[in-house]
Amino acid sequence: MARGWGAPTARFVSGDCTSGMKFAEGKGARSQDARHGPPCGLAGAVAWRNLWRNRRRTWLAAGGVAFATGLILFSMSMQVGGYATQIETATAFFAGHVQIQRRDYIDRARFEHTIQEATPLLRALEAHPEVLVAAPRVQAFALASVDERSFGVQLLGVDAQRERRAVRWLDRISRGRMATAADEAVLGAPLARNLGADLGGEVVVLGAGKQGGVAAMAVRVTGLFDSGIAELDRSLMLVPLEAVQGAFGLGDEVHALVLRSAEAVRSGELAQALNAELLQPLTKPLPKRPRSPLPDESPQPEADSWLGETDLGAPNGIPAQAGELLARDWRAVLPELRQSIELDRWGSLFMYGIIVIVVTFSVVNTFIMTVFERTREFGMLRAIGMRPGAIMGMVQLEALCVWLLGVGLAFALLVPLIGWTAAYGIPLGEDIQALAQDLFMPDRLYPKLSLVVLLTAPLIMLVGVQLAAFAPSLRIRRLTPVTALRTE
Amino acid sequence: MPLKLLLQLSGRNILRHRRRNGMMLAALVVAVASVVLMNGLIRGMQRDMADMAVDNLVGHVKVLAPGYRDDPGVQRSFALAADWRSALAPGLLEGWAARLQVPAVVISERGTRGVRLVGVHPVREAVSFLGDVEMAGEFLQDAGDGRILVGRALAEQLETAVGRRLVIITEGVDGRSREAGFRIAGLYDADGTALERAFVFTGVEALQKMLGTEAVTELSMRLHEESQLPQVKAALAASFAGLDVLDWRELQPQAAAMFVYADAAIFIWFLVMMGALAFGLMNTLITSIMERVRELGMLRALGLRGRSVVAQVVLESSLLMLIGVAAGVVLGWLLAQALGEGIDLSLWAEGVESFGMRAVLRPILLVEDVVLIAALSLVLGVAASLYPAWRVVRIKPLEALGR
Repeated sequence: MARGWGAPTARFVSGDCTSGMKFAEGKGARSQDARHGPPCGLAGAVAWRNLWRNRRRTWLAAGGVAFATGLILFSMSMQVGGYATQIETATAFFAGHVQIQRRDYIDRARFEHTIQEATPLLRALEAHPEVLVAAPRVQAFALASVDERSFGVQLLGVDAQRERRAVRWLDRISRGRMATAADEAVLGAPLARNLGADLGGEVVVLGAGKQGGVAAMAVRVTGLFDSGIAELDRSLMLVPLEAVQGAFGLGDEVHALVLRSAEAVRSGELAQALNAELLQPLTKPLPKRPRSPLPDESPQPEADSWLGETDLGAPNGIPAQAGELLARDWRAVLPELRQSIELDRWGSLFMYGIIVIVVTFSVVNTFIMTVFERTREFGMLRAIGMRPGAIMGMVQLEALCVWLLGVGLAFALLVPLIGWTAAYGIPLGEDIQALAQDLFMPDRLYPKLSLVVLLTAPLIMLVGVQLAAFAPSLRIRRLTPVTALRTE
Repeated sequence: MPLKLLLQLSGRNILRHRRRNGMMLAALVVAVASVVLMNGLIRGMQRDMADMAVDNLVGHVKVLAPGYRDDPGVQRSFALAADWRSALAPGLLEGWAARLQVPAVVISERGTRGVRLVGVHPVREAVSFLGDVEMAGEFLQDAGDGRILVGRALAEQLETAVGRRLVIITEGVDGRSREAGFRIAGLYDADGTALERAFVFTGVEALQKMLGTEAVTELSMRLHEESQLPQVKAALAASFAGLDVLDWRELQPQAAAMFVYADAAIFIWFLVMMGALAFGLMNTLITSIMERVRELGMLRALGLRGRSVVAQVVLESSLLMLIGVAAGVVLGWLLAQALGEGIDLSLWAEGVESFGMRAVLRPILLVEDVVLIAALSLVLGVAASLYPAWRVVRIKPLEALGR
């Protein structure tokens, strides 16, 4: 190899290499071409050849890099895929991608905090290109009785057709059919059992209407559902929307609009867009308090501005609302899901960090040995005029090659594997399946590859490997050719 | 070759390559310490889940009337004999509580909610979360106290406060509904809002009087040692014939599944870290031994047997592993101690709650886990050094010296 440096002129044809690879001026190898330094192609070839002087070591180091890259690649693709299906399963079941409610209803679910003039708003929402369907819901607490037995129930009034398109839980009606007429109802199976009501049985429902009066309904059980979520099954009673609105003295009012969009993952943007374009203009802003150091000064509504805004509001002829409407995506509606995903992210970040550190240490070891073993060789290179920086650059190139080998190996082995499992899914054990429903986990995991997943692990390892090679090669700067050549 | 000489040789060899061995030690320490720490955190999580499951009015084991779990009403109750404890060997129970738990509807001026009304004996509730719960107002006086304790979250929904009255409707033992006014003695602050919304407590005797019964719906027990569970269950099943005797794993299958899941997580984590470490070890050991082919060949030329050379090499890496593993365990332990106050996860409170964990995660180190981690790491180290040592010995001394 040293011979190659001795007669460089003929080969240095192509352009300059990056910084470190310059020959020392005024040393033996100076020539017209030496100013340009060796080309990348040559430096790369030398580094590549150096690697194969100790195959076993190279493969071990590359194996370490491949192990770490592959492990992180695989776990990340599982995570990304897992989150996506988790979000989709959770939102598609009951919560929907985006929910619109009155802000004060979100804070404390009072029956009278309703969205008014729901139908025109619903039409406007469904006209939005990103919204597939908007399902209206009315929620009321009531007492359901059969003969002498009474239970507190959560009465849910829905538009069956829209509800079915927005979420999937109506598919869980295990016996009978969906309630369609005003005097029909679907009950959670345990609730029906507790009440002693079967299909066709009569249930009397009593609650407090919007104006405080007594709201009463007599319904016939047409179906039973079994969602698997004990809390829902034990307390939920499903009736047609108009029936609840009529019995509880609501006009064209609902408590929530549940939206389904094209993609759950992008529902955050949709919620933001809806808030800005549609919902905020609908709300009468509260009169602003003047900025004053005195807290007890009487508020002076800035008449011009808020009157102006009200005039601007009400697009598509939707009347303005009494309370402020807010669209929230699943992150806000299901905070426990968002938080469990965040926790999982932090946990695995810690794990990746440790893996990278441990593997990097072993690569450092490889390069320590490389550098010490080749002291004589480096002394020779110095003696014939190669600058320390250039030698260090060569070592860095060798590290780059090790990285390339490792990442290439990991990709070659894992990308097809991930691709295959992404298509077929990895079934989870039966123990997990019992958990799956409550924690919004699907029963199969589908790993997912994305650019972020593909790039993260290799880039982190690149930094690790280059640092690992850099630390021991600092020694090269202190090398004097004479002593280096003397070492055995 | 005497062991002492072997040890001496190995020790010197370790010191000869300080830099390389230092690096390997560093990798070892990081890996072992992180396994120890992570193990501690997952164990902490696991204990939280079990504790929460046991605390939430479940106990380690519970006696219920058959069918109560499907249809939790006052009809599915049983009379508790005064001498029921004679069936159990003394000293097993940390505490016990008999409760009357029925579904009910609470009504305030501002709202109506469905809850579970639980008649308790205040002193006995030391076995559940009620024992050390934070309260505003007063706790119940005795089993005959006809006031109620309401969760803070429920009180917010009902817009009510300490000292106000709530109407409670529930079903009596005759199947007819009963309605009565209750004054709120205090508001309790449980770890999660789900509990606060679900349970309303009153004195058990007061509730029995209202429903017209002398019976209870559940008998919950907490043991000193969970390991005695099978024994206690068997004794209870014999003395409460015809009733269901269930432990917390059966009553809270979700928490039990999470418990198993955490075990699997520990195992996977350990496997992954050891895999990463194995690469590092093999890497270092193979290169360091191959570098010494000449030196080892010389030893053999001087008359050292192949076996002794292998022993020396393995001893050397075992010594290194021992130091690294010990330092790693100590570092992991120190880190766990530093986190003794726990990691505050309240930023993710609802997510944590959905896992059945507490908002503050405290690591727990079990001696048997640490021993297992240390032992497996050592075994891994020895295994990783056997292969290169064996390879070296197969090279003929003459050939080795010529390198």
